[in-house]
Amino acid sequence: MANDVKPTRKELMAIEDRIDLSERGHDTLEQKRDGLIMEFMDILDQAQDVRSGLGDDYEEAQETIDMARAIEGDLAVRGAAAALKEHPEITIQSKNIMGVVVPQIESSKVQKGLDERGYGILGTSAQIDEAADAYEELIDSIVLAAEVETAMKKMLNEIETTKRRVNALEFKLLPELHESQEYIEQKLEEQEREEIFRMKKIKNKKEEEEREARDEVSAEESEETDRPEGEVAVTSD
Amino acid sequence: MSTRTNGSGSNYEYVTARVRSRRAKLFDEDDYRKLIRMGPGEIARFMEESEYEEAMNALGARYSGVDLIEHALHRNLANHFDDLLRFAEGRLYDYIARYLRQFDAWNIKTVMRGIYSDAERESVETDLIRAGEFSERRIERLLGAESIEAVIDVLADTMFGDALAGAYGEYEERAVLVPLENAVDRAFYEALIAGLPSEPSRATQLYIDFLEAEIDFRNIENALRLSRSGADVDPAEYYIDGGRLFDEEGIGALVANTDELVSRLRESTYGDDLDAALNELESAEGLSGVERALNRALLEYSRTLSNRYPLSVCPVFAYVLAKMREVDNVRAIARGKEAGLDPETIEEELVMV
Repeated sequence: MANDVKPTRKELMAIEDRIDLSERGHDTLEQKRDGLIMEFMDILDQAQDVRSGLGDDYEEAQETIDMARAIEGDLAVRGAAAALKEHPEITIQSKNIMGVVVPQIESSKVQKGLDERGYGILGTSAQIDEAADAYEELIDSIVLAAEVETAMKKMLNEIETTKRRVNALEFKLLPELHESQEYIEQKLEEQEREEIFRMKKIKNKKEEEEREARDEVSAEESEETDRPEGEVAVTSD
Repeated sequence: MSTRTNGSGSNYEYVTARVRSRRAKLFDEDDYRKLIRMGPGEIARFMEESEYEEAMNALGARYSGVDLIEHALHRNLANHFDDLLRFAEGRLYDYIARYLRQFDAWNIKTVMRGIYSDAERESVETDLIRAGEFSERRIERLLGAESIEAVIDVLADTMFGDALAGAYGEYEERAVLVPLENAVDRAFYEALIAGLPSEPSRATQLYIDFLEAEIDFRNIENALRLSRSGADVDPAEYYIDGGRLFDEEGIGALVANTDELVSRLRESTYGDDLDAALNELESAEGLSGVERALNRALLEYSRTLSNRYPLSVCPVFAYVLAKMREVDNVRAIARGKEAGLDPETIEEELVMV
């Protein structure tokens, strides 16, 4: 890159401006990266809790439904499940964490009362109630896990992007700019030295010419002084 | 199977003797503990060497695995209950036939649930228990029905016909099976005690006492479920008439106050029998443990009645309940093992007396 730049003072000033801007950008991005990492660590802790809770809820739900199937029969469980008319609703909003837009998922009508599930009491047992309760809790856990894990993934992507930008500035752009700056400075110094040298040369030459002229004049003058009096210089016609 | 009301004398001695011998063949706790530690294949093998041998051999070519076990359990149950009707005469036959119509009610609900949840015919057939009054032809027609309306048409000339036709409007309006299922259950319970003499004989009174106890246990179970859930449901909607413990007006207040309901149950004639169930209610979060304790209490109560009145319908009904429980237990073990549940969890779910 250094060879591509014009070694001019104007270019040097432009590069110095870019270095200044890049250094400020680097500091800001580093702060952003550190902030994102801190936020990410908080979300990671939450995600680990949610993930472990989700696993437990899933196992419990699976166990209760397996037991309900074993005791009540598959059809009774399927019939009870199919009786549900009002399905859970999910609304997605967004919130901003350090410039990263993450989803905020809210669920409603997940936890239902016995009267809202659509199946009767005479034809079913508490096993089915417990399976329904366990699955309702599982859905809530899934919704929470979806929110936290999506936020975590988005934060992770943003951290990666920011890290790449910081590294690009630190290890690519800034070194290149500094190299260019150094190159131009060297070139300019060289040009300056050449200029001085040239000036000195011209000055020496001028001084020599002047000296020669002076010597000539003084030689003529000394010639005239050396000729005897009355002697007329013979000049040929 | 049809209801005989020819007025001939009942043969309690013969039937209860046969029932006692069959009761002795039911699986005991040791058998269940062995079964719990077996895989589905081993359970099938164990059943081949037991009371279920004939059903297992007959169905072995058509089914395999847990399906074979379940079909064999249902067939064996149906054979035993058909035998009861074959043994019984006179009024006793009528009582047993009325009681076994619960399997007709079960089959109707199973077929309706299958249609409602778009289940395959095979899976509906697996869950049917052919131990009721319906003929094979009617069951085939039920299985062939493609809509709830068609099911109601098939049942129009049975004791469930009017009740189902009456509840169909509500089903159409709400698009849930609850009204139809409730109508089927109510029709069954109403028919149990319908048409009995106003001044019952000792035998009839014992029949009524047994059913009242069963209805009471059913109402207790429903009241506890409603009370624990806090759902905004009118308890009268699920109240089964015919018990001794509750009336339609009073059950609402009891459901609203769990403590009062529990103290009422403790003070009732079933207080001692329900002690374990009510203790479970106070300690457990879910109600399935309470339901198991209630089922256990009902089995023990039915056994007490059958011991107290050995020459009555009570030993027969106690056997029916115990046999049904055996089928439920073995099915729970087999399905539980198939689903990979651990033995301790499965054992907790069993009702053993």
